[in-house]
Amino acid sequence: MRRLTKLSAVAAVAALALAGCGSSDSGGSDGGSDKPAASKDVCKTAKGDGPKIGLAYDVGGRGDQSFNDSAYVGLKKAVEEFDGSCVEGEASDGEPESAREDRLRNMADSGATAIVGVGFAYSDSVNAVAPDYPKVNFAIVDGFDPDTKPNDNVAYLTFAANEGSYLVGVAAAEKTKTGTIGFVGGVHNDLIKGFEAGYVAGAKAAKPDIKVDVAYIQESDLKGFGDPAGGKAAATGEFDKGADVVYHASGASGSGVFDAAVEAGDGKWAIGVDSDQYLTATTAQKAHILTSALKRVDVATYDFIKTVNDGKPATSYTTYDLKNDGVGYATSGGFIDDIKSDIDGYKAKIVSGEIKVPTKP
Amino acid sequence: MTTTTTTPGPVTRVRNAARANWLFIALGAVAVVSLVRIVTDTNDLTSVGTIRAAIIATCPILMAGLGGLWAERAGVVNIGLEGQMVLGTWGAAFFTYHSGSPWVGILGAALLGMIGGLLHAIATVTFGVDHIVSGVAINLIGVGATTYLAEATFTDLEGGGPRQLIGLPTPTTIDRIPGISGSAADLADKHWFFISDVASFVAALTTKISLLSLVIFALVVASGWILWKTSFGLRLRSCGENPQAAETLGVNVYLYKYVAVLISGAMAGIGGGFLALVASSGFSTNQTNGRGYIGLAAMIFGNWRPGGLLAGALTFGYTDSLRLRDTHAVHSLLLLVAVALIAITVLRVVRRQIAGAVAMAVPGAALLVWFLSTDSVPRDFTSMTPYVTTLFVLALGTQRLRMPAADGRPYRKGSAG
Repeated sequence: MRRLTKLSAVAAVAALALAGCGSSDSGGSDGGSDKPAASKDVCKTAKGDGPKIGLAYDVGGRGDQSFNDSAYVGLKKAVEEFDGSCVEGEASDGEPESAREDRLRNMADSGATAIVGVGFAYSDSVNAVAPDYPKVNFAIVDGFDPDTKPNDNVAYLTFAANEGSYLVGVAAAEKTKTGTIGFVGGVHNDLIKGFEAGYVAGAKAAKPDIKVDVAYIQESDLKGFGDPAGGKAAATGEFDKGADVVYHASGASGSGVFDAAVEAGDGKWAIGVDSDQYLTATTAQKAHILTSALKRVDVATYDFIKTVNDGKPATSYTTYDLKNDGVGYATSGGFIDDIKSDIDGYKAKIVSGEIKVPTKP
Repeated sequence: MTTTTTTPGPVTRVRNAARANWLFIALGAVAVVSLVRIVTDTNDLTSVGTIRAAIIATCPILMAGLGGLWAERAGVVNIGLEGQMVLGTWGAAFFTYHSGSPWVGILGAALLGMIGGLLHAIATVTFGVDHIVSGVAINLIGVGATTYLAEATFTDLEGGGPRQLIGLPTPTTIDRIPGISGSAADLADKHWFFISDVASFVAALTTKISLLSLVIFALVVASGWILWKTSFGLRLRSCGENPQAAETLGVNVYLYKYVAVLISGAMAGIGGGFLALVASSGFSTNQTNGRGYIGLAAMIFGNWRPGGLLAGALTFGYTDSLRLRDTHAVHSLLLLVAVALIAITVLRVVRRQIAGAVAMAVPGAALLVWFLSTDSVPRDFTSMTPYVTTLFVLALGTQRLRMPAADGRPYRKGSAG
């Protein structure tokens, strides 16, 4: 029996070690010699004397071709420009709050002076960790202060995602031929509801009698952001019921939404989210990606690191909206060139305050 | 073959009756669904699109369940199915990309799943490690290894990234079968009672269906046949029921357990391959999202039988795709489950199983009241619909579960004395 216990312990430890290799920043460090240097993770090569930056990803991590990758682009630009170095860490599905705190503490302990948490889910953990490291500057993308006690070393980088969604809603309404459009959300939380609200409002503004079909992959489980099969099933359902444009706000599940548009055939469109997803899509998908609602997480990340590097770290809330080009829409593919002036008209009205975009459906 | 020659007449008759029962239950289920569809005016309940989505959602779960069936019938509990599935997703993507053929990719998925199975077999059969401990380890290894492998092998490929590889060729899709597809779809659009629902099934099975889905359904039938109709299957199952007795009869129990667990891993791997190549056209890390566990649960509630696990996987796949496609349909589902439970109640009363009847009647009546008194189901409930429905239908429908007698027990060679 003792031997069995030992063996199972060895198996479990080996498993943990392997799992650790895969999901943490040490994974894939050898990479093979034939790789072009450009695609290598900047944090594995950068050894500059400038600021050391910690980037804590949300579920999905680097390579989601969306939200997290956008933050990485900003980090990379900053590291190269300021000759700094960086450490990365990534949240895993269903991890406890303490795991997020530990990740942030490890980064701070390893000498990072600027730490960016990607995603609202870091709000509580940053709030808990920040007071212990007064010399470190924290930022949370999409974050908020969960209590009333202000932190003077935390910046909350928020996006008016509803405004960008409003514009792609206008594009969807002007492009639909059936009068029905769709929306697929990853998780039914307040953040994603903001995308839905803006999209629906924009579509109704451009075409008051339009029908919007709304589906969410998960109710509260964050795995809704990493389930392409679920995204495809939800979008296919909307296409089947007559929608011809479907906008997704579902992170990595979005590739399934694009596939659904490809399978639905000619004249069926999908709209990307966060980054210009036309650029990372496959050839077959490209013909079906109408536009993307942009959320310049890269700009926000870079701006924050810059303020730290300049010695005047940003704190409290910074909102990125249409006014400062923190959100917007993409024109890659040229599918919406004919209605661009209309969309820009709505954009001008939002910037001037004439149109107030709702944040709740 | 050997089983049928050695079994006397009555057993065969019972088996035929059981087969007729399955057909009867399936037709009854279609009739009930059809009735509910008409009463609630929810045509999406059996639209061709819903059934097509249900088939796609069912296949990976079915393969995981089948993997579980092979292992547990040989007495090895395999909760590492999830990990073997994840390995399969990577194998499918890797081999498809480098060979250009999705079928080679599916073989690659089976191979990777088999490697997971081999680890499990070495740990549990050779070294006698607790099956659950080893299974958990396999799940962790599966996730860790694929995350690592994906970053190491997919980062610089076209359509690839550290966590994904998209734009892979997919297995052949049967677009339509002339003569059948068109007329079935027309019939389905008429929304007639029963006939249109059956036509929907026919249309979904003959239009735009992946050949791999058909292969998977064939694998269920083949597994059932091999495990129950061949001497190889009988010996394999004897290792799960009473390995000591099998040993005294000269069966190489270790070998059979190894074979079973390897096949189990391969099946789960193919399920992962289906997810990466058919359910979504590409690999992304952790895309299994717990489907391995659901397959295992479907197998257990399906009473360790191929027919039962098929029913379980279909129930789950159907309800899951239904709630994704149309949240309003979930409300109609309440009536559907209520009617199903009441039907089982009646069956129990006829058979004079009063306690069982009461156990079914209470939740059935509660669901009926809920359906009649509301117009929609709260959002928080819709995402758990597939879990709750599968639990209700299968847990309450199958009252007497019997797992293989020596399932999960350690077996050492020579312990027969």
